[in-house]
Amino acid sequence: MRNSGLFNDHVKRLLGCLAGGVVLALMVGNQEGVQRDFGYAFRAAIFSPRLVVFLGFGLALFVAITYWSRISPYFVRPGARPLAAGAAAVVASYGLLHWTDSNQVTGGKLGALSSAVSGTDGISSFTRTFFGSVVPGTPWLLLVVVVALGVVSLVLRLPVLAWLAAGLGLLVGVWGYIAQSAVSDYLKTADHSTGAQVAILGYAAIASGCFVIARSQTDQADTVGFIERVFGWRPGFPLAVLGTAVGLVALLTATWFSPADRNPHLSGMTNLFSGEGLSAISSAYLSWLVWVIFVVALALAFAATYLSRQAFSWASIVIGLGAVVLTLTTMHEFSSIGGKSGFDGANGPWQNIGAGPWMLCGAFTMFAGAGWIALRQGRRVDPAAPTVVAKAGSNLNQVLIIVVLAGALFYPPTATQFWQTVIVAEIGIYVLLAIGLNVVVGWAGLLDLGFIAFYAIGSYTTAYLTGTLPIKPPDWLHLTPLAAIPFAIVICLLAGLALGAPTLRLRGDYLAIVTLGFGEIIRIVAVNADKVTNGPKGAFGIPQPVIHLGPIHIQWGQSALQFWYLLLVLIGVTVLLFNRLEHSRLGRAWAAIREDEVAAQATGINTTRVKLLAFAIGASTSGVAGVFFASQIGYINPDNFLLNNSILVVAYVVFGGMGSLPGAIAGAATLTWLPEFLKDQVPAEDRQMWIGAVILLMMIFRPAGLIPAKRRAAELSGFDGVKSAETVAVPAGEGM
Amino acid sequence: MTAVTSTAPEPTATNPEVVYDVKDVTLRFGGVTSLNKVSLQMHRGEILAVIGPNGAGKTSLFNSLTGVYTPQEGSIMLAARKGDELTSILHDPRFYGARKSTATHLINRHGVARTFQNIRLFPALTALENIKVGVETRQKSGPVSAMLGMPWQRREERESTERAYELLRFVGLTARANDLAGALAYGEQRRLEIARALGTEPGVILLDEPAAGTNPAEKRELAELIRRINVEDNVSVLLIEHDMKLVMSIAHRLVVLNFGEKIAEGKPADIQRNPAVIAAYLGTTNDEPEAATTAQPEPNTTDLDSGPAAEGDES
Ligand SMILES: Nc1ncnc2c1ncn2[C@@H]1O[C@H](COP(=O)(O)OP(=O)(O)OP(=O)(O)O)[C@@H](O)[C@H]1O
Ligand SMILES: [Mg+2]
Repeated sequence: MRNSGLFNDHVKRLLGCLAGGVVLALMVGNQEGVQRDFGYAFRAAIFSPRLVVFLGFGLALFVAITYWSRISPYFVRPGARPLAAGAAAVVASYGLLHWTDSNQVTGGKLGALSSAVSGTDGISSFTRTFFGSVVPGTPWLLLVVVVALGVVSLVLRLPVLAWLAAGLGLLVGVWGYIAQSAVSDYLKTADHSTGAQVAILGYAAIASGCFVIARSQTDQADTVGFIERVFGWRPGFPLAVLGTAVGLVALLTATWFSPADRNPHLSGMTNLFSGEGLSAISSAYLSWLVWVIFVVALALAFAATYLSRQAFSWASIVIGLGAVVLTLTTMHEFSSIGGKSGFDGANGPWQNIGAGPWMLCGAFTMFAGAGWIALRQGRRVDPAAPTVVAKAGSNLNQVLIIVVLAGALFYPPTATQFWQTVIVAEIGIYVLLAIGLNVVVGWAGLLDLGFIAFYAIGSYTTAYLTGTLPIKPPDWLHLTPLAAIPFAIVICLLAGLALGAPTLRLRGDYLAIVTLGFGEIIRIVAVNADKVTNGPKGAFGIPQPVIHLGPIHIQWGQSALQFWYLLLVLIGVTVLLFNRLEHSRLGRAWAAIREDEVAAQATGINTTRVKLLAFAIGASTSGVAGVFFASQIGYINPDNFLLNNSILVVAYVVFGGMGSLPGAIAGAATLTWLPEFLKDQVPAEDRQMWIGAVILLMMIFRPAGLIPAKRRAAELSGFDGVKSAETVAVPAGEGM
Repeated sequence: MTAVTSTAPEPTATNPEVVYDVKDVTLRFGGVTSLNKVSLQMHRGEILAVIGPNGAGKTSLFNSLTGVYTPQEGSIMLAARKGDELTSILHDPRFYGARKSTATHLINRHGVARTFQNIRLFPALTALENIKVGVETRQKSGPVSAMLGMPWQRREERESTERAYELLRFVGLTARANDLAGALAYGEQRRLEIARALGTEPGVILLDEPAAGTNPAEKRELAELIRRINVEDNVSVLLIEHDMKLVMSIAHRLVVLNFGEKIAEGKPADIQRNPAVIAAYLGTTNDEPEAATTAQPEPNTTDLDSGPAAEGDES
């Protein structure tokens, strides 16, 4: 009896997996029928090799589920997870990502590029071999070989094979990277495709996994411990290494000017600009000075982090930042020359610059950051604490902060116009909104589903103060957008109080519903109050920000980049302020009312006041975002402020990790980036499905979010060693 | 620990200063009367214990004293700190929050701190932070000065950290300062809750079964701790406890509740001999106190302890 039950279970599971495979096969590829044959897509899926592949997936899944207890011991061995993650990255890069932006290759993916390259004689055979001119499907074959070697060495514990796999993996990764850059040089396009980069990173992960397999024979990987050891060994050291790698790429292989046309590397710059009136210092910089500075900065960064001497740290910071400034002035100079001669259609400075100098700026920033981390190391002990407080993971955090900062500063200029707009209008604004909502939802634990209302209030306040609404402000109150920020903050603060005061007695679901209603009320008022808000047509011609301060004149509006740096300042200030707030008296009080409101009250916390503050502070952040949005886009109408947007912001905060400031930023950035990214990679109809899959996987494997809050992670994962039910906080109102 | 006096005078019966003056308090929940015309006086500097079988209304009394519940009848007067004048917590606007009714946090601010029968810490904050939350409810600096890192805000922050460490040392938890409160052992959580309450600089502390679920060694430490709170900090202690040995050893006076009514009040020795109390604990009716006393001619603490009401359940 029992056996047949088990058998039935297995049959059911197998059928389920196979059915899933069929569904997947139908989902991939063309979704629509054709005029004469509406079953076209169905037949294309069923009568093609595709079906076999996906049935194979189903079978593999069935095996994996059924025999998981036998597979999992291998999976937790050291090195297994980097291997798997790397393989997944390479598969994604081969199957999903673009390998070229040239319009000569339809689709731009690896498959299309391979067939195009294999038949082109002008490309070296070294490159063509990678793309499969000798053996079709070479990249895939190589991947299978490398991964198979890695898996075999993992299972059988054969260090020799692991070394082999690691070496081979690195070679294949580098080969692919070089081949791709050769092709893009040949095709002469400004290439922003990510396929080759992701592939080489994936192979690096595979190689490091194999390296660990070769070195470690334990049964249970200690990932967290490993990361802590690596980043805690010499704080800042990994950053110096990363800076070196980025810098070398910038100096040796990246384009410095005129991408898509001349494509000179650093070595070609002197030639290109000789006799063009470059100042002495800039031409020295381009020919040899940059190398000297690079080596000095690199040496200082390593010395600072390795020896932890304050003098080296300071020197590293000063030289690193100085080098950034010098690089920027040089860039300004040579791009001005290019602009003056109208090269590649450029008409001013800062145009037509390649990725190289920006990457170099990033590298110098990382060197300076390494010095900064080494410097902070010496004074991290809480003066009031009698014992030394170990802050696990904070080294990793600091490295991440510097990397993110360097990326935020120097990546956007190298992005395409499209991405620059996305970075400003989607990613940046929603990051700011998520930071604001995180105060309310994450820290104070009050679910707010009408958050976008404050964004609307901020936007309409700006429209009013700049005189673009039917009702005009008095003359003395006619302001530029930047001057409107304090007013928007105050008004949103008041709006936050107005929403908070009557709803404070509500908890959980009830509060959520009331806030949702509030959001809709604001929108409906905006639609219907024609005389005030101009109804559904909204406000037009909201001016762009300007600064006139003595000798400084800045006018925003020429490019998305300008707005990005303004936004970056706003986000940076907010993050700094809120980070302090989180670790202040109020931040702890928020955590307290979130954890246990009754206990918080009994401890003397005025819960009303604390909640109101959360509402007000969150709302005012949203108001700042509103000002920025209105003045950047120039026109607003009620359709910008839908319930949908409120829910999205909540989703970003939850996805990133409720109550974690870096989490809110990462969550919003990821989920706003993903749909835009997928636009290029998958058919438009499938986009939502992919996003859904990502969120689903995330909630299964990381329910606490991308970067969980320290104060919350324990709540979800339980407390080590304490199993007794008595420690679980009792919901308010029970069992006092 | 503001002032350590070597010998706290045992409160004398001659002219005791009153901390809590409770008169004829009645608290009903629908048909259930959990307090029925309860009157009691708590004196400054004493350890007053409230005992009684399960469901007697002890926790209800605490909740009435701290403004969580508002009794339907009776009056509660409070003068928690030395020099305060007795004020009605039910009818004085000083204790009113946003809603024109007694606000728990204001009672705390007037010097009454408490712990809960079911430990109610902030589990996702560290032990240190839990205490700091308590200490900081006495501070002034607001969100803006925190965001700007003003000097006075930094000073307050430092003071609260120092005070929190002092309290951690006082309850013997220094080593666990940076562990999440939820990850502490049961007895440690109990002590942390007491430390958090002490952080608010109370004149009176209300402890609801602080020894429940702890082992004998921890119970001894706890008794010592309560005595130190009482003597060193000059805090009056109102204590609910089922462990008779503990109660009899540290309480100066006892109040006994049964079915919401006060059935006895007095010194530990007298209470131990009180027939009504014995009856309540042994489950006999008051009509036959004789039987109870004959059965237990000299009821000692252990017997009370092992009665049907021993060890309150935590639900
Ligand atoms: N919020 C409430 N709603 C309804 N009834 C309540 C409430 N709180 C207490 N009661 C009732 O009041 C009575 C006294 O309860 P209380 O919790 O004060 O007892 P206790 O003496 O603390 O008992 P224990 O020793 O078990 O802690 C019980 O009958 C209880 O059911
Ligand atoms: Mg109780």
